[in-house]
Amino acid sequence: MNIFSEIYGSYFRITAKLMKKEQLSDNEIIKVVNNEGFRDSVLFLPQKLIPQKDNSDWGLFKRNTDDTLSPVIKNKPVSPMTTLQKMWLKSKLSDPKIRLFLCDDTISALEKRLSDIKPLYNSSYFRYTDRFSDGDDYSDELYRKNFQAILNGVKSQEILEITFTSGHGQRIHRKFLPIKIEYSPKNDKFRVYSMLIKCGRIHSSGVINIGRIEKVRQTGQFCTIPVNIPKYLTKRKCSEPATVRVTTERNTVERFFMEFAPYEKQSERDLTTGECIVKIWYDKQDETELLIRLLAFGPTIEILAPSDFRQKAAERVLNQFEIFRHQT
Amino acid sequence: MSGFSELIKNFDKTRDYVRDFFIYGFKMRNDFERKSSRTYDDEKRRVESWLGNYVRYDDSQRGRQMSITVDSGHIAENPLYQAYYSKSFTDNDIKLHFLIIDILFNGECLSLKELVNRLNDDYGQFFDEQTVRNKLKEYVKEGILLTEKRGKTAYFSLCTDRVEEYINEFHGLDDALKFFSETGEFSVVGNSILKSAEIKNDLFYIKHNFIVHTLEDSILPEIISAMEQKKFVSFYTFFAKNRLNNAVLTGENIVIPMQILCSIQTGRRYLVGYIPKYKRFNSFRLDFIRNVKTGEICNEYDEIHNKYLRNIHKCFGVSFGMRQDNGNVEPLKLTLKIDEISEDFIIERLQREKRNATLEKIGDNLFVLTIDVFDPNEVMHWAKSFIGRMISIEGGNKNIRERFYRDIIRMNKMYGRD
Repeated sequence: MNIFSEIYGSYFRITAKLMKKEQLSDNEIIKVVNNEGFRDSVLFLPQKLIPQKDNSDWGLFKRNTDDTLSPVIKNKPVSPMTTLQKMWLKSKLSDPKIRLFLCDDTISALEKRLSDIKPLYNSSYFRYTDRFSDGDDYSDELYRKNFQAILNGVKSQEILEITFTSGHGQRIHRKFLPIKIEYSPKNDKFRVYSMLIKCGRIHSSGVINIGRIEKVRQTGQFCTIPVNIPKYLTKRKCSEPATVRVTTERNTVERFFMEFAPYEKQSERDLTTGECIVKIWYDKQDETELLIRLLAFGPTIEILAPSDFRQKAAERVLNQFEIFRHQT
Repeated sequence: MSGFSELIKNFDKTRDYVRDFFIYGFKMRNDFERKSSRTYDDEKRRVESWLGNYVRYDDSQRGRQMSITVDSGHIAENPLYQAYYSKSFTDNDIKLHFLIIDILFNGECLSLKELVNRLNDDYGQFFDEQTVRNKLKEYVKEGILLTEKRGKTAYFSLCTDRVEEYINEFHGLDDALKFFSETGEFSVVGNSILKSAEIKNDLFYIKHNFIVHTLEDSILPEIISAMEQKKFVSFYTFFAKNRLNNAVLTGENIVIPMQILCSIQTGRRYLVGYIPKYKRFNSFRLDFIRNVKTGEICNEYDEIHNKYLRNIHKCFGVSFGMRQDNGNVEPLKLTLKIDEISEDFIIERLQREKRNATLEKIGDNLFVLTIDVFDPNEVMHWAKSFIGRMISIEGGNKNIRERFYRDIIRMNKMYGRD
C-alpha cells in the first residue's frame, strides 16, 4: 500500500471523469485534460484516450458513427475507498479535532464502519517538540458549538453576531461575515478571517481567535456578493518585503530556508561568498513573530530592510548589549 | 527531449528536486551536482508541468533561476501533492483498472478464468492469465477488490465502500476531509479522497504550514510499520552540512526506530532511533533519509523504548548529545526582565513555549527559566528570540554562554552602525 500509486494518479482520475460521460467529443477530452491535468498532460494523455489508427490508444473509448466518442465500459466508473484511505480515516478518528466536524453519534457510527480496519498510524508515533502548550480545547462543548456555527457561517456566507474578548482584553460584540477558517499547527489554534459589518456594509477586515469567542448568533442575513479573498489577503500583507542577508556560518543557509519555507520569498545566492539575499513577504499582523524568529539566528542573519523593521531589531539588540555592558 | 514523460517511476529522485526547487529558490543547473544535465532538464520540466502556477523565474547575476514560490499559509491545496499523482504505469494497468471494475460493478463474484474470458468476450481485450492474476492480487491488497475461496478457486468481487457514500452517510465528513487533507500526518491521503469525490477545500487555510513535509510521506509508512512490529530499520542519509551543494549518501544506518519528532517552528522532522552499535539514541533528519528497509525483530524493543520514554523528557528538541560528548552539563538558567504590568504577554509566551523548563519569579519584574536538558545548545536558538531582556545566562556549559555574549557583541556592531 502506497500513496505513490497510479490508482490515485492524475491520469487515472481524468480518465475516470471522462468515462462518466456517455458521449463526448475529441475537443471535450482535450479541454478536460487541459483543465484537470498537469501543464504538459495535453501532449501525452489525449492520444491515449482518443482512438488512434495504429491502435496505440488504451482502447477505453470507441468512435461512434456521428464521430463522437463513448466509453467502452457499461457502467459509470466508481471509486472504491482503498484500504489506505480507510486506514488514514481511522487514524483521524483519534485526533481530537475530528470532534469539531463530526458529532459524537457520527464518530461512533464511523468507528463501527471501520472496526475491522487498522489505523495507518498511532498518534504516539509522533511527538511535536515545540508546539505551544496553550492550544484550543477541542473537547469543550462551547468551543465545538461556536466552531460549528462559524463553519456554517463560512459555508453559507451568513453574517453572524459574535461576542468575544480581543487579544487586548476588550470585550467585543459585533456583526461579522466569516470568510475562511485558519488553523496553526504551531499554536494549535483556529482563527476565523472575517469582515466587520457596520450598517449592513463591509467596514473592515479582522481575525478572531475561535477560542476567545463567547457566543455566536445567526442573523439570518446573508452576503450575496462573494468576498474577494485575494484582495482581503493583499490588504493584510506588508507593503514592503523584509530583506535579509543569510550567511553560511553555522549552516544557516540550510536552517534558514527550511524554517522560512512557509513564507513567500525570493532569494539570490552570491556564488563567491555563498551568502543569500532573501526577500520575505509576510502578514503585517505577524511582524513581531517574524522579527523574533530572525533575531533567533543571531549574527548569522542580518535584517537589511525596511529601515523601520531593521530599527526594531537594532533596538532589541542595543537593549541586550546595554544590559551586558552594565554588568561588566 | 525525446522520451520525456511527465510521469515518474521513482519518487525518491524527484523528491530531491521538488524539495530543492521549493526550499532553496536560488538553485540553478550547476548547483544540482548529483545528476547529469539531462536529468536536471527532465526534472525541471516535470516540476514546471506539475506546479506551473507556482513556478517563478528570476534573472540573477548567475543567470536564470527557477523556484517554486508558495505563500503556504494562503493556499487551498498543497501543490506538492502533484508529485504523488504522477506515478507512471503501463497500458495494461489502466485498461485492467477500468475494465475489471466495470465487470464487477453489479456485485458479481468471478474467478480469474471467468474474468479473463469476460475481458475478451465483452471488450475484445485479450490478457494472459498471469497479468490479470497479478492485477487482482494487487487490487486485493489495495482494498479495491475482495477475495474469497470457494473450494480451491479464488473468487473476486468489488469492494462496496465508495467515497461518495461515506460522505453522504457521515454528516460533516466532507468538512473534516477538507481540513485534514491540508494538515497533519499523511494529509495527501485525505487529499486523494477529496479528489475521488471531486471536492475541493474552500474553507480552510493552514498557517505555519510546512507543505514540504508531504514529500516525506513516501518513507514514513515503512518506518511506522517497523515501529509497530518492533523491528530494526536500515537506511542511508545525506550529510546535513553538505546537503546544500551535493547529496553524497553516508554509509548504511541500522537503528531501532522509536518515534518521529517534529519541530513545527524550524520545519525539521526527525526519526529517533537507538543505535545498538554505539548504545545510544540519535536523531536523523527525515528529509535526508533514503532507501528505508525493515529489518529483523528486536527482542529488546520494549526495554529500549521504555528507556527512550525516560530520556526524551530531557531533550529540549531532538538532541541526546551533550552528556555523552562533553560529560554532564548543569541545568541552564536564563534570567529575564519582564514588566509584569505592561508585558504580561511575554510571561504568557514563556509559559506556552518553555516546554520542559520551569519558570519562577525571583524578584520584581525578574524571572528565571531553569532548563535541565541533555543539550542546552538546543535552547539557545529559542533563547535568542528574547534578545533585549536577558539579564544573565548561567549553567549549561561555558561554550554556549560565551557564544551568546559574543553574538550580542557582533549583533550590536551589525545593527549599531545605523
